[in-house]
Amino acid sequence: MAEVKVKVQPPDADPVEIENRIIELCHQFPHGITDQVIQNEMPHIEAQQRAVAINRLLSMGQLDLLRSNTGLLYRIKDSQNAGPVSFFLSKMKGSDNQEKLVYQIIEDAGNKGIWSRDIRYKSNLPLTEINKILKNLESKKLIKAVKSVAASKKKVYMLYNLQPDRSVTGGAWYSDQDFESEFVEVLNQQCFKFLQTKAETARESKQNPMIQRNSSFASSHEVWKFICELGISKVELSMEDIETILNTLIYDGKVEMTIIAAKEGTVGSVDGHMKLYRAVNPVIPPTGLVRAPCGLCPVFDDCHEGGEISPSNCVYMTEWLEF
Amino acid sequence: MTQAEIKLCSLLLQEHFGEIVEKIGVHLVRTGSQPLRVIAHDTGTSLDQVKKALCVLIQHNLVIHRVHKRGVVEYEAQCSRVLRMLRYPRYIYTAKTLYSDTGELLVEELLLNGKMTMSAVVKKVADRLTETMEDGKTMDYAEVSNTFVRLADTHFVQRCPVVPATENSEPGPPPPAPTLVISEKDMYLVPKLSLIGKGKRRRSSDEDATGEPKAKRPKHTSDNKEPIPDDGIYWQANLDRFHQHFRDQAIVSAVANRMDQTSSEIVRTMLRMSEITTSSSAPFTQPLSSNEIFRSLPVGYNISKQVLDQYLTLLADDPLEFVGKSGDSGGGMYVINLHKALGCLATASLESVVQERFGSRCARIFRLVLQKKHLEQKQVEDFAMIPAKEAKDMLYKMLSENFISLQEIPKTPDHAPSRTFYLYTVNIPSAARMLLHRCYKSVANLIERRQFETKENKRLLEKSQRVEAIIASMQATGAEEAQLQEIEEMITAPERQQLETLKRNVNKLDACEIQVDETIFLLESYIESTLKRQ
Repeated sequence: MAEVKVKVQPPDADPVEIENRIIELCHQFPHGITDQVIQNEMPHIEAQQRAVAINRLLSMGQLDLLRSNTGLLYRIKDSQNAGPVSFFLSKMKGSDNQEKLVYQIIEDAGNKGIWSRDIRYKSNLPLTEINKILKNLESKKLIKAVKSVAASKKKVYMLYNLQPDRSVTGGAWYSDQDFESEFVEVLNQQCFKFLQTKAETARESKQNPMIQRNSSFASSHEVWKFICELGISKVELSMEDIETILNTLIYDGKVEMTIIAAKEGTVGSVDGHMKLYRAVNPVIPPTGLVRAPCGLCPVFDDCHEGGEISPSNCVYMTEWLEF
Repeated sequence: MTQAEIKLCSLLLQEHFGEIVEKIGVHLVRTGSQPLRVIAHDTGTSLDQVKKALCVLIQHNLVIHRVHKRGVVEYEAQCSRVLRMLRYPRYIYTAKTLYSDTGELLVEELLLNGKMTMSAVVKKVADRLTETMEDGKTMDYAEVSNTFVRLADTHFVQRCPVVPATENSEPGPPPPAPTLVISEKDMYLVPKLSLIGKGKRRRSSDEDATGEPKAKRPKHTSDNKEPIPDDGIYWQANLDRFHQHFRDQAIVSAVANRMDQTSSEIVRTMLRMSEITTSSSAPFTQPLSSNEIFRSLPVGYNISKQVLDQYLTLLADDPLEFVGKSGDSGGGMYVINLHKALGCLATASLESVVQERFGSRCARIFRLVLQKKHLEQKQVEDFAMIPAKEAKDMLYKMLSENFISLQEIPKTPDHAPSRTFYLYTVNIPSAARMLLHRCYKSVANLIERRQFETKENKRLLEKSQRVEAIIASMQATGAEEAQLQEIEEMITAPERQQLETLKRNVNKLDACEIQVDETIFLLESYIESTLKRQ
């Protein structure tokens, strides 16, 4: 029997075994382990085998490669990323590392998204490469571009299945980057009508004034419920949304608001206080100046006796006198 | 004085007093206080005419005289007083609502004549009232003087300052112009007169009346020879008191609009109680206890004490802050916050002007910036829920008309525009002044238009006057129906139509002047109150 040179493999030299050991080590040190630590743990494994195992773990996405001031660190990836990662892996089999890098940067941006120029800074890749990669990723349906409402030319990229943040899309008042003014107007009128009818019923009840006034108030929660039941909104509206609408009514001078202290736990109270709204009449009727044509005249500053525009030949006055 | 004010003064003076007075008056308004000779020289009118014009102006309290240093007497016109002439109809109307026809005529006579003695004004008013009454009835002097005393008690008329009586006169020459003084307690003191008599008619066409005047005539002539008992005590209308009344009215109607009728009645009672006790420029009325208010409520109002207390609490809690609670003694002490009320009314006027001129969305932005004091462009869009483009457009429009102003806050010392915060803000006193200036110019425009319309149709007016005179004289001499018809037909139907239109237009323009004057009053009171606070 000839002696066959057999490479004696130590009992746990199986690649899977090595990987599992490395993973266990990583779990033990959640902040990351250096190459040195792995070497100390498994001194019998050659450097090449170690490198292969680590590379496999990296490509499988179970380990993170980080750089620290002492050297390279390997850290176990969080389990919640394991799901999409496996999905990602199946898609990314053919992609190169650059794409992986870009994908990671976009993932890190969360649901605020990241602009293409920022991706370029973080990855140090040239613009053409970035664009190619982004197009690639988009066609693979891994990321999507969302137009920001703040600057309409800017496009931010985020993961495909993430909901864009409110600051990017504008929340309930924007649908596809367009501010929905008619929607806001309709809501405005509905809220005002609700408050008005409430105030009128309170006034007609003719009880003592305290009760009358208190019953003419409606809390923001009541208005919110009314609007939800009315069902005129396709989008679900939160109480803050309704409060912004009611604030616009205050700025219209049709509604006034008070804040009262409410017990925690009563319906509609936020942080121990409740906002109450009430329809009111304007304080004075339209003032005297606007009843004269001069009050609304657009060429007021050019008008003087003897000029082109003067009180004697004022067209607006002639029209007004004919009423 | 601004151009607009000077123009308005000149129009008013011309309408009420004529060309010469207007020339002198406008000159004084424009140049401040001047001595007599300088006025004559600068305006190019003879000394005699200047003196007469000054007499007229001083009589109507439009010009005051002062002894300057070195013994020179200077005359100064009071522009604000001239502008009050616009408000005469409102004063007369107020007197009518408070004291009925007698009061109306008393105030009218005082305003038209500047200063009068009590006996003179009473006699004149009695005569006027007698004319309007049915035949056979006359107006008693006593009734008229009663109304006069009531007017004086409520401070609507006051005594004019008099030359002080110097018992031990100085041996030197008398001063070139007397300095007039009046003490506070004498201002409303009605002299004890026993005015007996009745009003007389001008035309004594009845049989009954002819008997009386004949008998009275000798007495009448002898009356003239007797010295008038209150010679030297002249009365004038107290405009500040009227202004106080208008202000109270405005506050009460604002409360009625915002809350209900009962609350406004309560506020009216409180204001009435502090009429005499609080000076017109105080920021707060004197504190009134809820018990006092309850006792002073008008008799017809039967609300219980608790309901009154509830109303007062509601008034004090209202975000308008017209009424404030200043203590708890006597069932709760309440004050009316006059300065804040005026501010609120002035702000409401500003808002209403913005709304009518630019639209309700602009009004929303304006109110938003008013409430939040300082806002950035982006914040304005977010709070007002108006699309960015439109919001920007509206803000710039209001900025160009000076309703809104910009406040720059630089981030870097070099004030670079890209690194500066620009905040929108509303400066209420300056916006109020701007609007006031616009009001003055508007009133001047309206008066000019009215004069223009009258001038256009002068020929027609003269014709209609002639026809009326002819008809009147023919009626007096007993003409037939047919002849009267003929004369009336001298004015054709279209001409009659034209006259109707003219009358309607002139009335409309007149009414509009008074309406703009309401805004002027609110804004002026607010500006005055703000100035006094500083």
